[in-house]
Amino acid sequence: MQRRPASIALLAFFLVTVGLFCLFAPNFATTSNFENLMSGFSFVAILAMGQSFPILLRGIDLSIGAMVALAGMVAFDLTMLFHVPGYLILPLVLIAATGAGAINGILIVYLRLQPFIATLATLAAYRGVVYAISGRLLIPKLATTPITDPWIVGIETYFDIGGALGISDYVHLPWFPLSFFLMIAIFITFQLLLLSTKLGRDIYTVGGNQEAARLAGINTRRITIFTYAISGFCAGVAALVLVARLTTSTEALGTGMELTAISAAVIGGVSLQGGIGSMFGPVIGAFLLGVVLIGLTLLGASQYVQQILTGAILLAAVCYDRYLVVQRQRRAAANVGANT
Amino acid sequence: MTEEIKNTTNDRRHFLKNIALGSAAIGGAAMGLFGNSDPSTGLFGVQKANAADDARLKMAFIKYATDTVSSAWSKGIEDVLTPQQIVDYKLLDGQGKAEVQVSLMDTLISDGNSVIFLQPVDSVALAPSIQKAKRAGISVITLNIDATEAHAAHVEMNHYFGAMDIAKAMGDAMGGKGDVAILNAPPGIIIRDLRTNGFVDGMKKHHPEIKIVADQVAEWSRKKAQDVLATILAANPKLGGVYGVNDAMALGAVDVAKDKGLIGKLVIFGNDGETGALESIAAGELTGTQFTDVHQQGRFAASAAVVLASGMVPATAFKKQGHLLMPYVIATKDTVGQITPAQRW
Repeated sequence: MQRRPASIALLAFFLVTVGLFCLFAPNFATTSNFENLMSGFSFVAILAMGQSFPILLRGIDLSIGAMVALAGMVAFDLTMLFHVPGYLILPLVLIAATGAGAINGILIVYLRLQPFIATLATLAAYRGVVYAISGRLLIPKLATTPITDPWIVGIETYFDIGGALGISDYVHLPWFPLSFFLMIAIFITFQLLLLSTKLGRDIYTVGGNQEAARLAGINTRRITIFTYAISGFCAGVAALVLVARLTTSTEALGTGMELTAISAAVIGGVSLQGGIGSMFGPVIGAFLLGVVLIGLTLLGASQYVQQILTGAILLAAVCYDRYLVVQRQRRAAANVGANT
Repeated sequence: MTEEIKNTTNDRRHFLKNIALGSAAIGGAAMGLFGNSDPSTGLFGVQKANAADDARLKMAFIKYATDTVSSAWSKGIEDVLTPQQIVDYKLLDGQGKAEVQVSLMDTLISDGNSVIFLQPVDSVALAPSIQKAKRAGISVITLNIDATEAHAAHVEMNHYFGAMDIAKAMGDAMGGKGDVAILNAPPGIIIRDLRTNGFVDGMKKHHPEIKIVADQVAEWSRKKAQDVLATILAANPKLGGVYGVNDAMALGAVDVAKDKGLIGKLVIFGNDGETGALESIAAGELTGTQFTDVHQQGRFAASAAVVLASGMVPATAFKKQGHLLMPYVIATKDTVGQITPAQRW
């Protein structure tokens, strides 16, 4: 696990941003707004965590948005066309998405493709598959029929934690969406995986120096396929959250989401140079993007300003990452000089 | 005939009633009648005390994406809201993504908007958000693309009957026979079905010898339409007509016709009536389009919004969703000159 002061700085930046919007954006500091933030950006945080795994390996997954659409359409078809019960659809969707992610890894490992190229190709291919299997295109009437399976739409459930704890008379807490708890569960699982298991240490080692890891006896191929499969799994979870939220799926679902997920991961301190980062940063990064978008909307700022500001934050994060890399290289060179 | 079409037929029956309602609304808005009335005096008027008391109303329009139609609607909405002096209005871009529109809906609900104008990216996907807005006492008015969840009002172009008239005009221009292709919108939007079904039914009714040989998605896009039509033409070299369910796709077909020297041979119709399409018709390239005055459409929607927001007519008073179909003109080279510069958008 690579801990960095950057995580503290990111958290501080996040809290300051929230504080500023609470002060200046009308209706920002309301329970319903924080409810919106949790329900609207938990799936982004899940995608960002998934995207972090390939980035930890110095790779990237451009197909994550297309996998969201693929998983969403699988869920749609299974329920609307084949009337499969929801309790079976949930694992089937996750298997399909994880498989799509694993295919990315296999292409990278066995065809020796650059991750950028391999996932760019599958971005197009998976989106094409979505159109090919779309039940909405096959039977247009289904496109205007909502999904009602309780197992699927039940994901969009909210919990009154304040009421359950008996503190709602004293504190007005937002209702927490199930997607937020899913995000927390994934965060804990992946963080423990990275922190406390050999697999996690191997991921950092391969990301830091793949050749050294291979020479140390780590199965780098398996690790690579695993990380892309994780990315697919997260796309599957995010798709289920979205399908529950929208009560349908669309062919365009997840379009452009790869950029949001990459931005959140990089803003969250996952180094594009590989081997550095945790699950904490991408989660904060995703919610930071959400806070900025919601806050500026409430302030009445143009959405173009929002996009410029989001780009500026991303640029700052990349520059900071680059600065840290240069610093490390200098320290390493100085250490080598001191030892000779 | 589908249930939606039956509904449309019913809506047409109520057309005059709706027009009367809409006319009253816009007339009233112009006269500033939509402030709260004083029950004791019966006097109407926007009460300036509201503004002084910081009781300004918030309204917003979440558009599908950045395009000429939604910009023209927004201008029409502002035409009515700005003179009211108590309404803060903002225009938000849905970026063509249902998930973005849902997030924006959530934000506007939290922000205490009185009325949300919405052009849904998907008729089903926005339904839960509309339900949420209704629970919060917010009126939702949809423009052109209806949602599966009932809401305060829906103001739309006359998709079905307009498309029937387009089919008739196209068939007339083709001499009543030949093959045609449809450049279509993505599924999941009710107007796609209305514009397609209207065209198909219109052909069956007026020109049964004309065959629809292709119906492909070009995603509302001029560029995409160019690619799709080029492929369709390769498979159907004797194609005689193209119907783009919006003008952008029809203009994409015009681009292909120009490249292949088919101007004058290929009958091309669009839908909406944006200025670029009208100019193309005048230039003898595009054969025709269904023109709707969308500034006026925006004004109708805004007038209904002011009525709803004034509190005189709460959204809950609408037992059934208000539905207004806009009048239209099938613009061809013979009729395009009748559309005045002020009506163009």
